[in-house]
Amino acid sequence: MTFFTKFCIPFIVGATVMFTVLAIKYIAWLRNLPKSDWRLIAKNFFSLRTVTALWEVVSESLLHRRIFKVNPALGYMHMSLAFGWFLLIAVGWAETVAYLGMRWVPLQGHVFFKYFAALNNISAHNPTFDFVMDLLLLFVLSGVGMAWLKRVRSRILGMRKTTKHVAFDRIALSALWFVFPMRFIAESVTAALYGGGGFLTSGMGAILNKIASNDVLHHIYEPAWWLYSLALGVFFVAMPFSRYMHIFTEIPLIFLRHYQLRPEAMEKSYDNFEVEACSRCGICIDPCQLQSQLGINDVQSVYFLRDRRYNMLQQKIANNCLMCGRCEQICPVGINLNTLRLNSRSSMRNIPHEGRYNYLRDIDKSSGEGKVGYFAGCMTLLTPNTMSSMHNIFQAAGEDVWWADRDGGVCCGRPLMLSGEMDSAQKMIDYNKALFTKHQIKSLVTSCPICLKVFREQYNINDIEVLHHSEYILRLIQQGRLKVGHTKDATFTYHDPCELGRGCGIYDEPRAVIKAVGELLEPAHTGKNAFCCGSSVANTAISDAQQLSIAVKVAAELEDTGAQTIVTACPLCKKAISRGAQRKVVDLSEIVAQSIK
Amino acid sequence: MINFGFSINRARTIDLDRNNLRKSNEIIGEMPELQACIGCGSCTASCTAGNLTEFNFRKVHTLVRRGEYQGAYEEMNKCMLCGKCRLVCPRGINTRGIVMLIKRKLGDF
Repeated sequence: MTFFTKFCIPFIVGATVMFTVLAIKYIAWLRNLPKSDWRLIAKNFFSLRTVTALWEVVSESLLHRRIFKVNPALGYMHMSLAFGWFLLIAVGWAETVAYLGMRWVPLQGHVFFKYFAALNNISAHNPTFDFVMDLLLLFVLSGVGMAWLKRVRSRILGMRKTTKHVAFDRIALSALWFVFPMRFIAESVTAALYGGGGFLTSGMGAILNKIASNDVLHHIYEPAWWLYSLALGVFFVAMPFSRYMHIFTEIPLIFLRHYQLRPEAMEKSYDNFEVEACSRCGICIDPCQLQSQLGINDVQSVYFLRDRRYNMLQQKIANNCLMCGRCEQICPVGINLNTLRLNSRSSMRNIPHEGRYNYLRDIDKSSGEGKVGYFAGCMTLLTPNTMSSMHNIFQAAGEDVWWADRDGGVCCGRPLMLSGEMDSAQKMIDYNKALFTKHQIKSLVTSCPICLKVFREQYNINDIEVLHHSEYILRLIQQGRLKVGHTKDATFTYHDPCELGRGCGIYDEPRAVIKAVGELLEPAHTGKNAFCCGSSVANTAISDAQQLSIAVKVAAELEDTGAQTIVTACPLCKKAISRGAQRKVVDLSEIVAQSIK
Repeated sequence: MINFGFSINRARTIDLDRNNLRKSNEIIGEMPELQACIGCGSCTASCTAGNLTEFNFRKVHTLVRRGEYQGAYEEMNKCMLCGKCRLVCPRGINTRGIVMLIKRKLGDF
């Protein structure tokens, strides 16, 4: 039995190139993993994590469940292409086994089975396999049809904007679009000439027999298979250099992620898996307020990852991001977009000056003590109402407070971190840590979610409990140490600060506090989907007018709830939203302080 | 000397014809909004680092714009990037962007 003819060459060459490049890339990335990452892999390999990872591979790489959550039609499109193609390969393999028994058949023998079946005069047809294979082909073709539709009118599939692609992507994309239609035509012609095929290909074959003579069909028979093989070959060659690298890369990524590997403040080899697992689906574009509000079209995570992957990342692109986390929250591949952007910024930062922050050595003139340390944070020092409200709350609760930075303190370090200057931030962290230890505080309360995040994630102060003031106030109310009056006709709406909500996962506490003093009305985008106020310290690229434009939009949505007062729990959000709002914008602590009984 | 609680700068001249304004022009070219500065000093008054040291953002960027780069990079490195200056700036200048730009441009001075 022969399993080779000339038209197989493009396919064989393509598959060889693809698997060689994949092997080279993965081996290089794995070899460059730091020792600590290898230890994690070794530790977690023989554990339940491998099983859960395997399940995630099925549910995400094949079924794409997370995309279904974004939009069912979009999910179906991705699933039909991925799962459909996988099943075509798997069932196709079973089909050859059913026809030929367990024997070795070269790869092209499986892929072009219908051709070789005719060539080798296998005349007995298996109607079950013919039907199933045609059904699967229809499944995939429906996905291809939706992909075409998405290019013309993306809104039908729930996407306001789709990705603008680079040349390699366009080549691979065009080839992929032709793979399945060409397969359909080639198999239909085969069915027309030699019989067989399920409802789809034999049906099309019958039509072909009607409209074209046998002579014509014989002439287009070989070219049809050639075109199918060429489409496959071109796709395979372009694949490791294009967005379709994600098809395979997502699998090792899922395993490594389950083994607890994560990107860090500095770039490392693991990042390659995350960067190349991006499929450039463009789901991250729509939530980006820099796009929807400001019309900036080249900075979104999809473009950032693309530029980083092809070594053409510009600083102005890396810097132009609010790091609000709205894209990271929705990313169907679960890429740590913020961390990757941070370590890119870190690689691009200016060379730090050796003697910088030496002045921190002898500035500590702090005094006083208390069980609870209150770190207002730089931004809170600019919102004195929050400070005085916290003062009243502490007094009403009879708390023993040590004020860490009332007369000016040192920044928590997060703004420097967000600019990629982790080494500089470390000096602030060391200073503040020493300060907290010196005053022997048991818990640390802060009004600033920016500070809160860095305290929790970078400070390693495990013996000090770090609380946001929303958590702290709620605790005081629940313990009965703080009595607040509930006013029925006082209506509030709440803006989730990015660093508090998506950053630290604190959504319920501020809401519980608001409900204790009045009525809470939720805006259209809330909780995990809340907007960014636009003034994020992570962005050093947009102008004041652009910040204001975002704030106006956010404020308008909050005012649409009809609430009398806009409440937030971040001094920066308060400052930003007040600029765009007609109604009063206050911090959570203010409404509590006003209703103390 | 009697301590009056303040000091004044030594008298000196800045000769714009003799200073090399190439870096200054590059900085202003990249962020022209810096020219909107009215020199009110709100940035310096609210500055976290300025509260602890002699660091004076208004002074540094004013000197840099006039081609006086000596020591500007070292001074700018005292900034903690906390962003209070940006919030208080009445001209809405992206001060944090300016700090990073000056550090980037004058790193080798």
